Formats: sequence, structure tokens, C-alpha cells
Amino acid sequence: MFEKFTAEARRTVVLAQEDARSRHQGQVRTENLLICLYDPPGAESVGAEVLTRAGLPRSQAAAAVQAIARSDTSGPDAQKLWQLGIDLDAVRSQAEEAFGPGALERTRAGRRRAKEGHIPFDVAARQALELTLREALDLGHRHLGTEHLVLGLMRAEAGAAAHIMAAAGLTLDSLRAAVAELAPRP
Amino acid sequence: MADATGVAAAASSKDPAEGLAAVAALRALQESLEELQVVNARQHGWSWQQIAAVLQVSKQAVHQKYRRLGY
Repeated sequence: MFEKFTAEARRTVVLAQEDARSRHQGQVRTENLLICLYDPPGAESVGAEVLTRAGLPRSQAAAAVQAIARSDTSGPDAQKLWQLGIDLDAVRSQAEEAFGPGALERTRAGRRRAKEGHIPFDVAARQALELTLREALDLGHRHLGTEHLVLGLMRAEAGAAAHIMAAAGLTLDSLRAAVAELAPRP
Repeated sequence: MADATGVAAAASSKDPAEGLAAVAALRALQESLEELQVVNARQHGWSWQQIAAVLQVSKQAVHQKYRRLGY
């Protein structure tokens, strides 16, 4: 499916994986895809343009995603250690206080964890990607761009991204209208 | 939240798959912490002998494991 993605849409997917990893998540979720549409700053995607125009600017999206991230018990290792009564986040912050940011991740065992840790998409994120394809097909577009990804995220109702967008007053119709207003691609 | 997690953990603690996976995660964490401490000790001028003594392993074991890190 990824071969029809525009370079920008691929970049968003790759950034979402990195975002999930940096948040110590076990899976890539829809909110990771949503927030990475706005990256990198200064070179935002077409999808971010659609979102901003429809009423969800970067700052608002980032705050909403951050609010969810805080209430999350993070990645699979953290959960396993938690069963043993060990708070990985506490250990990590101690290590970083003494040895600098990312100290644990820089060690050999840490790098092995990161490499082995190909982070899969969760159910809602997979659904969003499938619906991205559907939206592009419905519009008769041959490319899969970040604007379609926005629509896919909105339609994946089980995902947090859809909730964040809905809470900001966005609807599928308003987003489709914003996509239609985009300048036609060369 | 923490209470609910604790209860869930207690209820499933006899599941071998979960128990073993937790131990594996702990070992990986232990590896990371050991490396941080060994590297730090070397940077503070500790000998392999001194490090091994405190870690309670043989000097050969610790040297063999960490010499390739360049310390």
C-alpha cells in the first residue's frame, strides 16, 4: 500500500514511528500520525494545511496529543517491569539525571531494544491507513497524500486522532471541503 | 490507576509467559544500567579490577564484556 504514498505521506509515517518510540509506546497510534503531519516545523505537510484551515492548528493538536501521552503507561517493557514493581520511567529519569538525556537508550542493550523494537501500528492506525487509501480512491486521486491521511484519521473513529479532531469542531465534511479547496496538484 | 494495574499484575503473576517476559525486560534494563555505571567508572579512572570487585564478578568477565566500548 505504501508505494502510492507521496514522499510527504511516507515521511509522516516514518516520523510517527519515531514519535511513538520517543514516547516509549509499544504501538504507533493515530495521534502519532496526526501530530507528525505538522512536522518538520516550517515544512508542514499538505495535511497540516488542511487541518489548520479546518480549525486545528499545530499548537492545539500538540497540546491534545500531549494530554493523552501523559496518561499512558507507555511501552511493553515498562508494563512488564511495572509488574515487578519497577517504574521504568523513574529509573530512566534517574539515569538521565546522572548521565544525560537518552542515557539508557544509548547503551548497547538500549540500542538493541530500539532495533528489535519495530513498532507496529495499532488497530485504529491500521484502519486509518486503509481508509486513507479509500478516501484517495473515492476522490479519484492517483496519489495518496497527507490530505487523504487526514481524512483517513478522521474516519478511524476508534483512534484518538478522530476524537481530537472532533473535539476541535472538525467534521468529515469540513475536512473534505478543506481538501477540495487545495490547489490542484501538478 | 496504579491500584488497578497492581491488582491486574497480581492476578496474572502465575502466567509463565508474562513472568518470563518481565524477567527478560529486567535483564535488558540491568544490562543498560551496568554499562552506564562501568563506562562512568572507567571515566573516573577506575581499573577493571576495582570495577569487577564492586560488581562481584571476575575481572576477566567485566573486561571482556566492556573493553570494546573503548574504555
